[in-house]
Amino acid sequence: MKRRTLLRTLAGAAAFAAALTVSATSGLADDPVKVGILIPQSGPAGLFGPSSQNSAELAVAEINGDGGILGRMVEPFYADVGGPPSDAIQAALKLWKGEKVDAFIGMHDSAVRGALVNLFKGQVPYIYTPVYEGGECADGVYVLGETPSQQLEPVIPWLAENKGASKWYLIGNDYNWPRDTNTAAKAYIEASGGTVVGEEYLPFTADNFDSNLAKIKESGADAVLITLVGGASVGFNRAFGSFGLSDDVIRIGTLIEENTLAGIGAENSKNLYSSAGYFANIDTEPAKAFADAYKAKFGDDAPVLNSLGESVYDGLLLLKAIAEKAGSLDVAAMENAAEGVGYSGPRGDATLEQRHTTKDIYLAEANGVDFAVVETFGSVGAGDNCQ
Amino acid sequence: MASSRAINVLFLIGLLLVPFVWDSFVAYQLGLFLLYGMVGQGIGLCWGRAGFLPLGQALFFGIGAYVFGATLKSADGSGIVLVAGLLAAVLAPALFAFGVGLLVFIRQIGSGPYFSLITLALTMLGFQLANSMDWLTGGFNGMTGIPALPGTDTYETLYYVIWAALVLVSGLLAYVGTAPFGQLLGATAQNEERLQYFGFNTALLKAIAFAISAAVAGLAGALFAPHQGIVTPQAVGFLLSAEIVVWTAVGGRASLIGPVLGAILIGFMASELRDSFQYWEVLIALIFVIVVIRFPGGLWSLVEGLARRAPSLGAKRARERDIGIEKSRTDGPVDLVFEDVELVLGPVRILDKLSFRIETPGVHSIIGPNGAGKTSAFNVLTGRLKPTAGRIRYNGSSVGGLSRHRIARMGIARKLQIPSVFPDLSVGRNVDIALWAGDLTHSQMFTLRPFRWTTPLLGEMQGIFPFLGEADHSAGSLSLGQRQMLDFAMTCLTQSPLLLLDEPCAALSSSETGEMIDAIEKIVALTGSTAIIIEHDMQVVERLSDHVLVLNQGALLANGAMEEIRADPAVRAVYGGGSK
Amino acid sequence: MDLVALQGLNFVYISLTLALVALGLAVVFGLLGVMNMAHGEFVMLGAYSVLVVQNAGLPFLAALPLALALCAAVGWLLEFLVIRHLYRRPFDTLLATWGLAILIREIVEASFGRDYKSIDQSLPGTVDMFGVDYPAYRIVLMALIVVFFIGLLVWYSRSNTGARIKAMVSNPALATAVGINTALLARGAFIFGVCMAGLAGVALSPLVRVEPYMGLDYLLSSFFILVVGGLGSLAGLLVGSTVIGGSDAIVSAITSKTGGYMTVLVISILFLWLRPNGIVARD
Repeated sequence: MKRRTLLRTLAGAAAFAAALTVSATSGLADDPVKVGILIPQSGPAGLFGPSSQNSAELAVAEINGDGGILGRMVEPFYADVGGPPSDAIQAALKLWKGEKVDAFIGMHDSAVRGALVNLFKGQVPYIYTPVYEGGECADGVYVLGETPSQQLEPVIPWLAENKGASKWYLIGNDYNWPRDTNTAAKAYIEASGGTVVGEEYLPFTADNFDSNLAKIKESGADAVLITLVGGASVGFNRAFGSFGLSDDVIRIGTLIEENTLAGIGAENSKNLYSSAGYFANIDTEPAKAFADAYKAKFGDDAPVLNSLGESVYDGLLLLKAIAEKAGSLDVAAMENAAEGVGYSGPRGDATLEQRHTTKDIYLAEANGVDFAVVETFGSVGAGDNCQ
Repeated sequence: MASSRAINVLFLIGLLLVPFVWDSFVAYQLGLFLLYGMVGQGIGLCWGRAGFLPLGQALFFGIGAYVFGATLKSADGSGIVLVAGLLAAVLAPALFAFGVGLLVFIRQIGSGPYFSLITLALTMLGFQLANSMDWLTGGFNGMTGIPALPGTDTYETLYYVIWAALVLVSGLLAYVGTAPFGQLLGATAQNEERLQYFGFNTALLKAIAFAISAAVAGLAGALFAPHQGIVTPQAVGFLLSAEIVVWTAVGGRASLIGPVLGAILIGFMASELRDSFQYWEVLIALIFVIVVIRFPGGLWSLVEGLARRAPSLGAKRARERDIGIEKSRTDGPVDLVFEDVELVLGPVRILDKLSFRIETPGVHSIIGPNGAGKTSAFNVLTGRLKPTAGRIRYNGSSVGGLSRHRIARMGIARKLQIPSVFPDLSVGRNVDIALWAGDLTHSQMFTLRPFRWTTPLLGEMQGIFPFLGEADHSAGSLSLGQRQMLDFAMTCLTQSPLLLLDEPCAALSSSETGEMIDAIEKIVALTGSTAIIIEHDMQVVERLSDHVLVLNQGALLANGAMEEIRADPAVRAVYGGGSK
Repeated sequence: MDLVALQGLNFVYISLTLALVALGLAVVFGLLGVMNMAHGEFVMLGAYSVLVVQNAGLPFLAALPLALALCAAVGWLLEFLVIRHLYRRPFDTLLATWGLAILIREIVEASFGRDYKSIDQSLPGTVDMFGVDYPAYRIVLMALIVVFFIGLLVWYSRSNTGARIKAMVSNPALATAVGINTALLARGAFIFGVCMAGLAGVALSPLVRVEPYMGLDYLLSSFFILVVGGLGSLAGLLVGSTVIGGSDAIVSAITSKTGGYMTVLVISILFLWLRPNGIVARD
């Protein structure tokens, strides 16, 4: 109901129009920095809501304990963007125009990102944190998540060299991210001397994978690149394991995080790899410190850490880094300062180039229902995203 | 009626004031719910009025959104392109829905779940196509960067455009609902088969209703594109379809404004609770289940219930019937031929080479023991059942295999054994339907003049059955006998040359039976029609008929004047030696 | 040749499991005319019963009584509170059960969390069947489903209850008149239907993903099967699941999984349009 009273204070059309253009940084120094944190709490991605929110809370607590952003305390405003873009637009507008937030952190699908980029039109800083297909280059938008080239450029040659992956089968859900990932993958496979023996896309509703497994068997593939998401990935990998295929064929996913692995189960996770910028078990000082702080704050039963949830933590770190270099949360100032901004967090050291982060990429192998990092690739660029 | 119309108008005016009372952000949010509400109004037309539930309206919403979104992206401010795009966004869904509706409804009578499931499967197919055809739609990530509607600001003035569209749609639906078309849709929901015996192509009526609902959804979708700036496959999805049906049910499926109210209430509730109450989905599901069980009329029925207590604005005006028309088929010689007609259902041979000919005016009776095939003979004649073999000719042209309404339009009217009137319509509206039978053109369905039609025969009828004058009584509140008489009156008012009357005196008291017999005699004499009556009561048969057909075991046993029949040994054998 | 054997086994497997999943919906839809949109949620309850049993360290089969008891209890409650008021209002039951589906899902989510659960294979590994390595659990499951269906068929055609049910379906008024308690029978049929869904959930849980939203998949595939196979007979159920499972498998094998899915949708639309009573119509 607090929001309602705030809304009433917005005096009609004129104030609303003015709000669109007035810079949000004209407050006093002791004004909090209001950050809208857009995470899914419902719908298919709702699974990642709790770990995202916890990561955000941890980041806010640590940043505020460390003097805040530009000397101002951070005040988070959470909104559920697990629904279709139309719901997300409403949620973001409420925070932007109602609560007057100064910046947004978003952990959601690309459809929502497209809607929000169109809504914000570069008038408010917006950090997009999850894994995605690449190519976002709008003003005021900074991307933290891994792009296909980041996840695959070093990983495919490594698998070819160390695991003998040469005949690749590409399988993903039928939408943009898997298609774009596979387009990138094909170039790296060819460069590594391998061939693509099959490529297939499944509707979101797919719940039986027998025909796909038969095709994989028939194709003689020795490696499968999986860009199925969520439940489809769980179902596919369970069936894959139950047929005993995992003994001879390696699997690599670019969105198999800790929750998905738990669903796949220890029996079905043999020779399963995942490539990402973060795993809960990364064996570095900053990552361990983060995991310990997370556990200390939220207890042992807290939602399991994963790359998507953790990305929100990094999103706040990146916001702080850009804002402090720019000396302002004004988009124009941040635009001038953004290129080359560096920060360091649980994922290691990262640098902003072409709105994307150049950072370490980890290749992990499933060991039961945990991941163990088998190789770290330092400072991998996100590729060319602004053509 | 008058007070409910006043509430509708007040509600719409209230919506116009929202940006001033709250602010333009609330109005922007409300704009989306109004668009969903418009889709719900279309569902209301199909479900609340015509009785069939479309489960895939998001398909039309999404088509409208994609078409107009693409138009806005490419129009470059060109007015002609925009208008053409808007027309396409409205007409493409309408035509598609019309085609689907016609194909399905021609094959299936009633409001079973099959049509609903087809629309559900279609919207799932649409979602998959929108998702897969990324070269056209942008795929899952959507068609992005759709500019604002020229001349509007998305967060300011677009709301008024949406409001205007809502007013337009509400006005259109209100008018369509009041016009003969709307009355016929209501009649379709109550008794589709009966309406077909009046010569109405109910499949066409339902397909038009479905097309209107799709056009409205397309218009809402077209405005959704600039309102959101992005269109994703979710706009075509099954979930959105289901949600809008839910909002329609909660708001009130049978009312004009109810679906809009439902969309606004649940929309704002979800938006407010989503970030503050973890179990908001449980709460909404509970509300929804309770409304479905306790208030099938939806929340709007509660609003109207309150309004009814308020003093009514102006008394009802009785409609005057002041346009005399002439039914297009008043008389003419009738020539009905059954030639070796067979009807086999499963293992049962119901009609067994039934042959007879009727070519004289007057009253003919069909008698015979139970199971003789009397009603089945009517059924094959009127298109309810298809004869397995044999030929039926009426005035020289073949009847076999034609649909009910076509046969009715050839001049054959039928009264069913159980009185079949349209119980939720008033007596006057029931009479209207009979007067319109065979003579109401498609364009007249959308004008109000046909409510004023009258014929000389109607005057005679009102003399015979005084209750016909009380036009505002609902037909469902009549006594069984009166319903029997209303049904008979309606059958005669079509002024079809051939009247098929299946036990017109069933369930009548002896005095009512007398009235009915008088009425039949009088009307048949007056119109010069030929009537065929199925009757068990021999006294009735004797008083009315010059000619009697006796059926037994699906075949003609005897055929002639009453005295000959009485003398026929075969008939005596069947009837155990005597008449009742 | 291996591929043919593999595809053949897959075909038998998908047909049988689909029939098992659809059985409960067929009973409720066919006998009561209720389109139970919460059908998939009962499959989910079955799967979560296995999870509870697994977490308690009990053997897999202990989940059967738990799932049946749980589904029967929830089914009884829903029938008593909601369904019985709506037997003559088909569209309203559709809507109300849709709401109930959300309720059940949210309660499970609140109790067990939103995340994926993994059910251990009680029969891990593969066995050699016709020259292909096939998962052992699947082989056993297929055999059990066949036995179960035969048993069900025998019971339905021989037992008194089966006769009463047939009487109720063909003429409810007459059935009441001759002293059959149709209200009780209807409640029994509903509970039986949802218990069958729970049973399917138990049986499939080691093979599929387990999470609160899993039910929707089973609801949709069950509808398609009923649409094609028709209501009111076990033969129809098997024919329906064979046609749906088979056409999906064949088209998926030749083109893509998306093609298979769209084929299933188109076949369903054609059946709904041209043969709404299905291949094996109710007699």
